[in-house]
Amino acid sequence: MSSEEKQLTLNLKVWRQKDGKDKGQMVDYTLEGVSTDSSFLEMMDQLNEKLVVENQDPVAFDHDCREGICGMCSLMINGQAHGPESETTTCQLHMRKFNDGDTVVIEPWRARAFPVVKDLMVDRSAFDEIIMAGGYVNVNTGNAQDANEILVPKEDADLAMDAAACIGCAACVASCKNASAMLFVSAKISQLALLPQGKLESDKRAQAMVEKMDELGFGNCTNEAECEASCPKGIDISNIARMNREYFKSAVVSKS
Amino acid sequence: MFERFLKVLTSSVIKKQLMGLTGLLLCGFLLTHLIGNFLIFVSPEAFNTYAYKLTSTPLIYVAEAVLMGIFLLHLGLAMVLTIENKKARPVGYYMKQPTGRGSTFASSTMPITGIVIGIFIVLHIIHFKFGAHYSVTYGDVEMRDLYRLIIEEFQNKAFAFGYIVSMAFIGVHISHGFWSAFQSLGFNHPKYTTVLRCLSTIYAITIFGGFSSLPIYCFLQGVQ
Amino acid sequence: MTKKLDGKVPEGKVTEKWDNHRFKMKLVNPSNKRKFKVIVVGTGLAGASASATLSELGYNVDAFCIQDSPRRAHSIAAQGGINAAKNYPNDGDSVWRLFYDTVKGGDYRARESNVYRLAQVANGIIDQCAAQGVPFAREYGGTLSNRSFGGAQVSRTFYARGQTGQQLLLGAYSAMMKEAAKGKVKIHTRREMVDLVVVDGKTRGIITRNIVTGEFEKWAADAVLLCTGGYGNVYFLSTNAMTSNGSAAWKAYKKGANFANPCFTQIHPTCIPVHGENQSKLTLMSESLRNDGRVWVPKKQGDKRAPNDIPEEERDYYLERIYPSFGNLVPRDVASRRAKESVDEGRGVGKTGVAVYLDFADAIKRDGEDAVRDRYGNLFTMYNRITDEDPYKTPMRIFPAVHYTMGGLWVDYNLQTTVPGTFALGEANFSDHGANRLGASALMQGLADGYFVIPYTLGNYLVTENLMTDKVGDDHPEFDKCLKESKDRFSRLLNVKGTRSVDSFHRDLGNIMWERVGMSRNKERLEKAISEISDLRKEFWKDVKVTGTDVGLNVELEKANRVADFLELGELMARDALERNESCGGHFREESQTEENEALRDDDNYAHVAAWEFSGDEQTPIRNIEELSFDNVPLTQRSYK
Repeated sequence: MSSEEKQLTLNLKVWRQKDGKDKGQMVDYTLEGVSTDSSFLEMMDQLNEKLVVENQDPVAFDHDCREGICGMCSLMINGQAHGPESETTTCQLHMRKFNDGDTVVIEPWRARAFPVVKDLMVDRSAFDEIIMAGGYVNVNTGNAQDANEILVPKEDADLAMDAAACIGCAACVASCKNASAMLFVSAKISQLALLPQGKLESDKRAQAMVEKMDELGFGNCTNEAECEASCPKGIDISNIARMNREYFKSAVVSKS
Repeated sequence: MFERFLKVLTSSVIKKQLMGLTGLLLCGFLLTHLIGNFLIFVSPEAFNTYAYKLTSTPLIYVAEAVLMGIFLLHLGLAMVLTIENKKARPVGYYMKQPTGRGSTFASSTMPITGIVIGIFIVLHIIHFKFGAHYSVTYGDVEMRDLYRLIIEEFQNKAFAFGYIVSMAFIGVHISHGFWSAFQSLGFNHPKYTTVLRCLSTIYAITIFGGFSSLPIYCFLQGVQ
Repeated sequence: MTKKLDGKVPEGKVTEKWDNHRFKMKLVNPSNKRKFKVIVVGTGLAGASASATLSELGYNVDAFCIQDSPRRAHSIAAQGGINAAKNYPNDGDSVWRLFYDTVKGGDYRARESNVYRLAQVANGIIDQCAAQGVPFAREYGGTLSNRSFGGAQVSRTFYARGQTGQQLLLGAYSAMMKEAAKGKVKIHTRREMVDLVVVDGKTRGIITRNIVTGEFEKWAADAVLLCTGGYGNVYFLSTNAMTSNGSAAWKAYKKGANFANPCFTQIHPTCIPVHGENQSKLTLMSESLRNDGRVWVPKKQGDKRAPNDIPEEERDYYLERIYPSFGNLVPRDVASRRAKESVDEGRGVGKTGVAVYLDFADAIKRDGEDAVRDRYGNLFTMYNRITDEDPYKTPMRIFPAVHYTMGGLWVDYNLQTTVPGTFALGEANFSDHGANRLGASALMQGLADGYFVIPYTLGNYLVTENLMTDKVGDDHPEFDKCLKESKDRFSRLLNVKGTRSVDSFHRDLGNIMWERVGMSRNKERLEKAISEISDLRKEFWKDVKVTGTDVGLNVELEKANRVADFLELGELMARDALERNESCGGHFREESQTEENEALRDDDNYAHVAAWEFSGDEQTPIRNIEELSFDNVPLTQRSYK
């Protein structure tokens, strides 16, 4: 049964940074009357509403769909990407997970490839660049044969869907102690390598995407699986193994 | 063409795979080393003869060079990867907590255990390979009496203890490294990976337990 | 002065119109395509698919999105699926049936020719998406899996778990990124369109505001495609994303594009209810839940007992009672309206009393908990996460929420608005869903417009209007004028320096809209809404408080700009609802109902599209009309008894 709604008073430590050039620092706020039924981002809204009333600059943070699918929300909450609950984005994290009087530390994703835009907002366009390097099937509109002419074993289709569930939020990078993007990159490489539609180009794709990832300054994988643990969609690190396989095959074995 | 080769060689994936591969080879070396050392339990003669045979073939120089090469590659890659990883996050977190669902003590301490192991190996070579050169003759063959050296060295309680502690570091390092190498090399399977992770732990315990039994045995030998 | 709009519907039988038209339309020489630039605003299904396809053809595309990446557009949140009449299950489906169902489902307020084309190209969408590697659900034999959705009699819905929108969008996004890699599509993220530039009656470009730097930018092009989605956020609380807004469409309206049927909004019956004042948005749960869940409220008013303590005979399964044959599977608008009625009668449940139960106890008893978990596990988890209640043990609480807007910019058969060179695609236009959209049809329409319609009709415009030689660059004075006007508007917002936050105005607007222009409307309330919104708008411009400056990122300023537009759009919606004195689809006028309280259409007077024309700030807009004719689908009254 549901827990009764309560009001919390929270001590927030929030990263404030005016823009990309500013050095930034942690700033303390006290927020009263936070409903345990509110989502974490609604708590942030409440903080901002209070700041506006006090003529202060509200905290900038990324968010959009607020139903855990667009991948726009982020936040390192008490040292964990998307907060303490497993397989949950920040927008789906609710304040009932916190206690009255708690101190909550809120920081942006940290990685060289993700410069801070303002406060808790970071620039994740590096992910778009990686997709641009090869995260697609080269098929123009109008060229497709009947959909049922490509048969895909259900098992492969399901595995591909598991990988494709990635929302591109970058919690994997944020939680990885090496700021590695391997889970994100491998999810796309896996999805397309598992399907006959994508197999044709899998060699080229693996090389292009991995090398773009390296070029952008992400760290290396040390197989600790913090990415998997903090992934709101539960993307498995077996995808990273598959990527390693694909890359080896393409870079060492294939002709191109 | 060469440029392409270099790009592949320096890619994150291949570096990790080389790291894993060299790690696995070193794991293999440890196992043969351990089995050889177990001859101590058989008799001084068995152990010394084994050591003599091993070192009297000229191939030993090739083997040593290769082993050294593997080790240095493992070490060098570790340094490069660690530096790159540090650079990938120039501004750290005010607060960072593991999820408790991913990283382990072993996985998060790889560079530290690695450094300790590196120091240990240097000391190990100084103590044993370049240690006192006693002689012993079996039949008409004169050879180095390594057995005596080992027994003597392990009479030093601090030394024996340090050795066991170092083995613990190696065990911890392997418990993550062994499984991790397979993952890097692209082996991950819904059924077998669980087995592999168990195997990783068993391997680590074997290496730790096996090598730790030596100083204990040697120490007790001397007490008699 | 009311005008009659011409939908430019091609001649011939409805089945042949698109083929004939494609043949008659002019083509752009392949080597000339690279001499054209097209602006695409929005990168959801419609925008991403259009950008990709146009670039593949050779056009230069500038794509703009408000988020940090084109992959985040709100198409991503669609759960259920996408329709196409492939007839793979061999259950009697056909293009004609999909066409027929869509016209009928839209309660006869859509343009037949557009709907037929939609049904026609839908099969190609599935092929295209499958080829892109969209991981659709499969049968064991490797073929695609279908399900029945939203009460359809045939299984024509393709799906990828509960994330079909996400997978289709990522497919379109990847196709666009493939073109971006070639340099043919340039992607501009964190940009908001703040004006449309029209010179001598032709669209010449847009003005954007860079959200990060606060800079205003000029972009010239030969055509502009508005793929900016719906305006459901006018209600403050809706299932739309936080940045979903109506501003781009509204700017086009002010530059002469007519706004069609703004009052047609869809209210989705199975959303998680509001918890309190700080609620920022509503979460939708797939309506597939109604396949097994039973909707009920207590018979007694103000019954505060826990649901499981209310005995069977004191429960009112009102949908099953009123609609014995359709029961819990009545269309969205009917289910929504009945839920609100129950709440208005004081029989609502939960702490706030603004919800009804959706009970799975019988399904669990019948099929077992595992079977229910198999079907709805992810939805139950989501519900539990948000409400902290366990739907396996206690009934879910649900309530309707604004979900989709069928109305939008008026477009002709070519998807062109009344401003030459400005096209509207996807939810941003009005064309295909009439007064009510069927489940799994939104994704179909967005992709149909982008992949298969605009590539043809755009070329025709560029050639017939002679844009090869007739070019206007961003150095034209009109660009500077528009830029300055936009800048001034943002300064004005900053300079009000009032006392109330932007959100407080938005919340008030939402309340007015929900109470007076919501599920059930009447003349008196609509008139009240018009005057209340007008007052609120005046107060907004006197008392809004926007902190910060116009340099750098300023979220409050962005919101203020959007809310200012909503305050005008909301009034237009109320006005349109008032003028349409009939009930149809999602638009229910209490004055026009059958004896059984069902929506009663008035085909003699309202079988038309109302397209509103801007006639100046604070002036009553002009209601233009496009007559609709139904030659292929006979007009009948809906009945779900």
